Amino acid sequence: MANTVLEIRHLQKKFGKFQALQDITFDVKEGEVFGFIGPNGAGKSTTIRVLLGILRGTGGQATIFGQDVWRDSVKIHARLAYVPGDVYLWPNLSGGEIIDLFLKLNQQKHTAKTDALIKQFELDPTKKARTYSKGNRQKVALIAVFSTNADFYIFDEPTSGLDPLMEEIFQQNVLALKKQGKSILLSSHILSEVERMCDRIGIIREGKIIETGTLDEMRHLTRTVITVKTKEDLADFAQLPGIHNFKIDERTTNKVSFAVDSESIGAIMTALAPRQIVSLQSTPPTLEDLFLRYYNHDQEVSDHAK
Amino acid sequence: MRNSQVSQSGYLTRFYLRRDWLPIGLWLLGIVGLMGAAAGKFDGIYGTQSALASIVTTLKSPAMVSLFGPFIAKPPYTPAAVYAAEMMVFMGLIVAMMSIYFAVRNTRTEEDNGILELVRAHAVGKQSPLIAATLELLIINLMVGVLSALALQGAGMTGSDITGDWLFGLGLAAFGFMFGTFSLLMSQLASNSRGATSLSYLVLGVLYIARMLTDVQNTDNTWWTVYGWIEKLAIYGKNNWLPIVLMLLLAVLVLGVTFFASAKRDVTAGLLPNRPGRQRASRLLAGPFSLVFRLERTSLIIWLIGLFVLGVSYGSIFGTVGDLMKANPVMAKVLGTAAVNVANRTVILNFAATLAIIFAVVGSIPAMITLLKLNSDERKGWLEQIHAKQVSRARLYSSYVAVALINGIMALFLGVLGMAISGTASMTHPLTITRILRAFVGYLPAVLVVLGITAVLVGLLPRLQALSWVVPIYGVFSLYLGGLFDLPKWAKQLTPYGWVNRVPLSEIQWGTFWWMTGLAAVLLLIGYYCYAHRDLLEN
Repeated sequence: MANTVLEIRHLQKKFGKFQALQDITFDVKEGEVFGFIGPNGAGKSTTIRVLLGILRGTGGQATIFGQDVWRDSVKIHARLAYVPGDVYLWPNLSGGEIIDLFLKLNQQKHTAKTDALIKQFELDPTKKARTYSKGNRQKVALIAVFSTNADFYIFDEPTSGLDPLMEEIFQQNVLALKKQGKSILLSSHILSEVERMCDRIGIIREGKIIETGTLDEMRHLTRTVITVKTKEDLADFAQLPGIHNFKIDERTTNKVSFAVDSESIGAIMTALAPRQIVSLQSTPPTLEDLFLRYYNHDQEVSDHAK
Repeated sequence: MRNSQVSQSGYLTRFYLRRDWLPIGLWLLGIVGLMGAAAGKFDGIYGTQSALASIVTTLKSPAMVSLFGPFIAKPPYTPAAVYAAEMMVFMGLIVAMMSIYFAVRNTRTEEDNGILELVRAHAVGKQSPLIAATLELLIINLMVGVLSALALQGAGMTGSDITGDWLFGLGLAAFGFMFGTFSLLMSQLASNSRGATSLSYLVLGVLYIARMLTDVQNTDNTWWTVYGWIEKLAIYGKNNWLPIVLMLLLAVLVLGVTFFASAKRDVTAGLLPNRPGRQRASRLLAGPFSLVFRLERTSLIIWLIGLFVLGVSYGSIFGTVGDLMKANPVMAKVLGTAAVNVANRTVILNFAATLAIIFAVVGSIPAMITLLKLNSDERKGWLEQIHAKQVSRARLYSSYVAVALINGIMALFLGVLGMAISGTASMTHPLTITRILRAFVGYLPAVLVVLGITAVLVGLLPRLQALSWVVPIYGVFSLYLGGLFDLPKWAKQLTPYGWVNRVPLSEIQWGTFWWMTGLAAVLLLIGYYCYAHRDLLEN
């Protein structure tokens, strides 16, 4: 069994009367990429800031490398690297200066890898940070983190300002870290990103972790949206098990769209094939769908968790 | 076309006024309260002819002229004439500072925060935010002017007249508005709010010093210093309205340039181009201390040069200040030259002691700004990644404190040194430079304690940390004007600046020096303890 890098038990955080974190419990194991997902304002960034010792938890415990995140923060940070969700940089320093500063603060050196990353992310390091866009500021933080040799990496919605090409480069770099056996906590609300990289995910809503597990364990909870046109009539599909939100397209004959539970998708496909498919479009489940489902089936989910 | 430039200006003005009600209220309360309270007391303090005669002699001395402007009233003297002479230049300074605050806050700060971008994305004219900021300045200054005039009318000092009351109030309003427009222009030139504020204070400082120099030498030249216009109102004397016209004309001219500059440049850009930076960090930029130092470098240099120039300017009038023979030839005959030289030295040392307070207060400002940035940089999100590094809060805190201390100590030292160098050069029987430098050693612990108080607020009440500005503001008020207002001793000793004896006239009190330094150290540690045990501010 792999060692546990991050261990959170019933973590709570109150801001005055507002309970931002009610009950956060999850682990990140060594060599694992853990996806931390949830809607805006659910408490992802607050959790991460407690883990970094920026905020002090008001209940429960959290340890990284077996050390308390508040008391031993400096010792922990020697082996940790972090990219915040919103990167703000000193406007009158250049990107190159800031990258070097971030490296030096953790006794790391500007290496050939740093230069390679600057090239890969297409960053002009001589520009002053005030001229950088949000994406470019994120690149500065990402370059510094990817060229830092750490044991545990925390990314808080790191791709929110990146274009798809840069997102791809980000994912490659995370996968490279994974290959080296590094542990990673990745907060995101882009499910495809999480799906591609994460071994396990934890879902947070309103300050509580409502589900943790591997993607396969989760997948049965997700639905794929299918739009299909056939030669034969499909109206009777509405009654099949596992199909939801069945809609008939008014303008085109024999065109319907519906959401299907992942566990029923095989059966549905088998049933569709004899109807002579003309065109078929499937939209992978989005995080939103997952949440909507949680929202509508809270009871079902908690039953499943047992 | 015209409409597209100015639409929604009125709505924005109302919005700014509503949003700023608290700071506006505080400034109004402070300014009008000070004006009214002082006016109410003056008949009591200067009720007798002997009291009037003695204050007029004092106000006519070059030292007082350099601080308050010339005393131009003709006998018979009245409390109102003394009031106008004492308050005009000083209140001008206060309303100018108020206008700088609001001008930068509603233009460059909004722009830095990205709020202007949001506003401009709506159906709002290109120039509307700037028009709204201008109108707000005009309204605030008018409120200051009208309320001050009403307060003066209510106080009804002996020798005052209604024309003079309103001239005083509206003169302050025009003066404040004029400096506000200077600041609006600086907000176009600079590329961030800190730069705009620094440039505005630079303009204010240069004009103030120019006024001081011309007032001491030849008051006719004061017309050229702009700042001096406020003296030329001749309140409760000739009641001259011409300076108000000049102030408004200049304000309109500057506004014209400002709107032209604003139309020419892009949002978030200054008129000065951005130069490319370094590709790699220099070896000197390697930790929190060097980072803070690097970030503060430019403003540190400007403040240090500013303090030195201020010191040199004040020192340069030592020769005039300490020429009692010229002021009173009879005295020389009675006392003999040697005795007069001793008296001259005493006058100068007394003057230097008053100036030392000014250097201590002004020197505290850059140091406090640096220390307060521990929280404001945090709020801007700049420190979040630093916290995730192997950098303890103790190290980060001590870095800001260290740079603040260097800032404050150097600023005070250079102010006093500038005064010592040019002062000794301008005197016929010079004092030694080391004697004048006593002022530095004497006031150093006061600056340290003020920083200690600031540190406690930074640690304990980060959201209310701006309260620490009360210390230098009240300090300069109580000690600059306190003597003239007859403030009781305890009221002058509310701030650490009042705990120091009159160095360099007197000996340094080493006992005071050490306990104050010790207190400062304890306060800095308390500040650290609070900072280390709380949540950091989120952006």
